[in-house]
Amino acid sequence: MARGARSRTAKRRPAARGTGKGEAAGTDESVEEAKTLALGERSIRLAAFYQGKIETVPKVPVRSLEDFSIWYTPGIAAVSRAIEADPDRSFELTGRWNTIAIVTDGSRVLGLGNVGPRAAMPVMEGKALLFKFLGGVDAIPLPLDVARPEELIETVERIAPAFGAINLEDIASPKCFSILETLAGKLPIPIWHDDQLGTAASTVAGLSNAVALTGRSLRSTRVVLFGAGAANIATARLLIAMGQDPRKLSLVDQKGVLHPDREDMDELMIRNPWKYRLALQTRGGGVEGGGIAEALSGADILVAASTPVAGTIQADWVRTMAPDPIVFALANPTPEIWPATARSAGAAIVATGRSDFPNQVNNSLVFPAVFRGVLDARARSIPDELVLAAVAELAARARDHGLSETHILPTMAETDVFPHVAAAVASRAVELGLARERHRREEFLERAQNLMRRPAKLALELLRAGLTVPMPDERIPRRSRR
Amino acid sequence: MTENAERDAIAPLRLRVATPNDIGALAPLLVRLKRLNEEFDPLLKVRDDVLDRARDVLKVEIADPKALLLAAEGIGPDQGKIVGVVRGRVRERVFYSPELEGVILDIYLLPVYRRRGVGEYLLSETVARLQAMGAQIVTAEFPTQNQIASQFYAKRGFRPITGTHAKAL
Repeated sequence: MARGARSRTAKRRPAARGTGKGEAAGTDESVEEAKTLALGERSIRLAAFYQGKIETVPKVPVRSLEDFSIWYTPGIAAVSRAIEADPDRSFELTGRWNTIAIVTDGSRVLGLGNVGPRAAMPVMEGKALLFKFLGGVDAIPLPLDVARPEELIETVERIAPAFGAINLEDIASPKCFSILETLAGKLPIPIWHDDQLGTAASTVAGLSNAVALTGRSLRSTRVVLFGAGAANIATARLLIAMGQDPRKLSLVDQKGVLHPDREDMDELMIRNPWKYRLALQTRGGGVEGGGIAEALSGADILVAASTPVAGTIQADWVRTMAPDPIVFALANPTPEIWPATARSAGAAIVATGRSDFPNQVNNSLVFPAVFRGVLDARARSIPDELVLAAVAELAARARDHGLSETHILPTMAETDVFPHVAAAVASRAVELGLARERHRREEFLERAQNLMRRPAKLALELLRAGLTVPMPDERIPRRSRR
Repeated sequence: MTENAERDAIAPLRLRVATPNDIGALAPLLVRLKRLNEEFDPLLKVRDDVLDRARDVLKVEIADPKALLLAAEGIGPDQGKIVGVVRGRVRERVFYSPELEGVILDIYLLPVYRRRGVGEYLLSETVARLQAMGAQIVTAEFPTQNQIASQFYAKRGFRPITGTHAKAL
């Protein structure tokens, strides 16, 4: 399971950027635990103080009630009629073009598991804040009280007229796959499941640079994906789409290497057809049986998205990998193997989900830009081709900023990258004939730059004007880090 | 003969009558099918001694002239590897006409050998053999919730005529 195998940048401050050298696992772990505990206490205090993280704010001038004859009746009836005549005009005459829903059933929230829709709300609010702050996207948190996937699907179908795209969040695997597939087939707007695609896209972008940096080509590398949850199943699909030989790709879960001869194949066929298909496609990736230790022997790349316990991947296994192996240990908050341990075992490049080590694989590198792109193009869907456009742009921008073993992905601080990723996604949507709004790439770029710059400015101005109350536990309002 | 060659080109296997030597390989496949059935309904939960029972049943049926037991064997590089099993039987319909019914009890193929028209080949071959054993009507038994099977047979002209309804006691 990829439980917890993704990051929430906004929650972790980039304090004491790790050198990747000399951190002792035990110390790191206890420091990390203490930090997390303190942050948790602070979060709950401030949640009680602010009572919610987002609110609706007018974006039109309202000088007096008279203006409502334009914004509301009688004037607004004409706008309504115009949309009735051409439903696609809902994208230009209302905020639909920039509004998304963050939909969850609360069945797999963070590393917490099935906490239900009410307890999922603070997390979804935080995500909405990220969407706005990083992507300029108006995101509405919508945790749903649903028992079955069909109920979630039906609910999303019914709310779709208000939204330009849907972000599915924290929905358990494998139902997340069928929900995503079904909705994508039914609705004329992009549907995204961040736990699959956000993490996978950022992983694959990092991998493509790591592969180049170690003088490899994807086609000839042997890849081991440890953990067969939402993220790694999507990673496998994207890698294959990018030219990775499926017969050199091994997925490994708690039961060992995913192989078509495995006893649980028929169960998977019924319960997790996505994993079943990958088993048939990869045939174990050239590994006949056994577990992660056997699979890693001679492998070029490891992507672990499994359990947040250091030592889940052992240094001895890394030593058996091919020369200059690439190790991605993505569980959060604790990577499956500490970067220093992996490096001393021979890893040439190490990535984690954390901002305090180099090479952070982070879905926040992806989702704000991807949504900016599909919303600006008014895209009808978001096929893997668009995801791959984001992957390619992300990887290219990391190269522009200087490729090295400790910089295979842009950092969250390299904010100039995101509008470029958005523009790449939007132009690809135009090329694929999925866009309602066709512009040149430079136009998309300029639009994205403006829209993505505004929220940080807005947040700062609101704070300066005293309209956002400073955090009561800080004497001086903290300066924006952007 | 040409027809057979064509079939072989699609199906990476061939069906043949099982021999006592095959029982060791067939029993685990039969167990896999029963475990798959369990996925469809908890009332089809397999017994702990299922593998032993499977061997016993196969031993009896291999000598029973009314029973049909076929082994699917791989071809080419998989020559000699048992990759599937078919169980059937011809039985008398005491109250109905036509009187002799060929029933397909179990069809199981390892995942890698599925699709590519293999199901079609297995079914037509099985039906032909049941017919040769005297069957005038052919039926198939599988869990009600198994929609894959139900669609497979529906597409080939089968329709449900009786059903088993169960309740735990």
